[in-house]
Amino acid sequence: MEFDLENPFENLHSDAVSYLFLIESDHTPSQNHSQTLKARDLDISVRRELISLISQLSCALDPVLSYLAINYLDRFLANQGILQPKPWVLRLIAVSCISLAVKMMRTEYPFTDVQALLNQSDGGIIFETQTIQRMEALILGALQWRMRSITPFSFVAFFIALMGLKDLPMGQVLKNRASEIIFKSQREIRLWGFKPSIIAASALLCASHELFPFQYPSFLKAISDSSYVNKESVEQCYKVIQDIAIEEEYSSALNGVSSSDTPINVLDHHFLSSESQKTNGITVANTIAVSSPLRDLKRRKITGCGCGGNNPTIHNSRIQFSHAKESEK
Amino acid sequence: MEKTGAGVVVLSAKEAFEKLEKVGEGTYGKVYRAREKATGKIVALKKTRLHEDQDGVPPTTLREVSILRMLSRDPHVVSLMDVKQGQNKEGKTVLYLVFEYMDTDLKKFIRSFDQPGQNIPPETIKSLMYQLCKGIAFCHGHGILHRDLKPHNLLMDRKTMMLKIADLGLARAFTVPIKKYTHEILTLWYRAPEVLLGATHYSMAVDIWSVGCIFAELVTRRALFPGDSELQQLLHIFRLLGTPNEEVWPGVSKLKDWHEYPQWNSQSLSTAVPGLEELGLDLLSQMLEYEPSKRISAKKAMEHAYFDDLDKRNL
Repeated sequence: MEFDLENPFENLHSDAVSYLFLIESDHTPSQNHSQTLKARDLDISVRRELISLISQLSCALDPVLSYLAINYLDRFLANQGILQPKPWVLRLIAVSCISLAVKMMRTEYPFTDVQALLNQSDGGIIFETQTIQRMEALILGALQWRMRSITPFSFVAFFIALMGLKDLPMGQVLKNRASEIIFKSQREIRLWGFKPSIIAASALLCASHELFPFQYPSFLKAISDSSYVNKESVEQCYKVIQDIAIEEEYSSALNGVSSSDTPINVLDHHFLSSESQKTNGITVANTIAVSSPLRDLKRRKITGCGCGGNNPTIHNSRIQFSHAKESEK
Repeated sequence: MEKTGAGVVVLSAKEAFEKLEKVGEGTYGKVYRAREKATGKIVALKKTRLHEDQDGVPPTTLREVSILRMLSRDPHVVSLMDVKQGQNKEGKTVLYLVFEYMDTDLKKFIRSFDQPGQNIPPETIKSLMYQLCKGIAFCHGHGILHRDLKPHNLLMDRKTMMLKIADLGLARAFTVPIKKYTHEILTLWYRAPEVLLGATHYSMAVDIWSVGCIFAELVTRRALFPGDSELQQLLHIFRLLGTPNEEVWPGVSKLKDWHEYPQWNSQSLSTAVPGLEELGLDLLSQMLEYEPSKRISAKKAMEHAYFDDLDKRNL
């Protein structure tokens, strides 16, 4: 049986979709456990360390593999926690989660090669096969052998169809960006309590707000109207994901500034300083719009948030139009 | 190894369950009726050895058990409630699959009508057939083929007349040699002609063929096509439905195991399944279409007029 994160079942029929929503809670850390985990700072730091380990060990493999392995880890932590986070135990858990993920995916790598890779990485501890097997058995028991995880990826196609974008290039663009968001936000502990379908809906809305802001309201309505989705959960989750995206954006902007003074980074620098001074904001935004339309979409979003309402957007458009006319003269 | 669990004691299968009696020996291992000590609940415990190697739990087993766990919420699929890993006396790893217990199966049910002239009531047949179509529609809707449907794999609750599909995937997941019963080779009787003729690519239609054979058997209480070899199985089918040709089944002569066969004309289904109403015969004929792509789907079968007068509220 082939296993694919987008289709935990092989076919996505309408019947299958409702069943996915029914059973997704069986395959995700529950809300209660999320609260429990948040109460234990130790486990949060342990989780961070384990995710880092898994990413490190599986960096040579398909990123979907590490996503699945981290899903197993989260469900294992939700079920068991870790009382004695010794380094070798953490590493054994990481290796075992990756091992199980490899077995579930139909990979190009022979399994023994993957295992050798895991043991060779980092020149660290080498586990006996039997030790890994025992840890695998422990993890399987904790996860109740529900290894065909239902993740946000399982729901993306459904929501894209709801938005009326099935088989359209726009749908593919949204799907790609939403998938990127889902991958990157997996590390974020604040998303722990949300169901995979809610995360999928929120990631798609973030992607659409970012890439296609004018269509965003109709997309929001399409998803909110779905009987499968709790609107309030989507709003909460959307805020968390948007915060993550913004933090990431500023982080990369700062990195850009610190790395070199190339023209694009100089523009970013001007934008940041202008934003803080609240002067020449429109002019700078206008300049950026000329040089980088896609980047401008992101900047405009932030500017829009700052000023409030749709007027600044319209205003910017007019100025841009005038500017274009002037340049023609 | 140091405990990483938070004080949760996981009982081994032997400690958690009291074996009451052995109730079967399937293609994958022994089956016991057992009682869960903690809850008193009666379950079916299916024990199978893992053919593990250096890699621990085989990927195939992992994938198949995972799919069974996913399907367990549907009312027409026997629920895999839990999985426990243990070791037998020789230190080999053993897997215990804990299924909900059903007190009989369709094979026993059919055989319980053993007096001459004693038939299964038509409304019972209709209800069981509807549940079977519904369960198969659920599996197919999720891309799952059964591929070994037979009365023995359809479990029943005698009191409620509920029917559930069992042994999904397990016949394939575990490569334990099948113990042969010389007096009966069940898996041939319900096998679709394209499978018998060596088709390499299965489709959901193979299960529909099996459903059709089971349908006929519910009416007559005898197997429709009781072949004792693959050739005899094909000849049984051809004698009733006519020997297929390129006209009725495009591509049939190109199948790997196709040969020259005696030429029979098709006969009316009503001669083989007397007592089935017209609408039932129509549904049956659509389930026994030679060309797999023309065979009715399970979902369409549920909508067939044969089921119109069935009270479906509790099914």
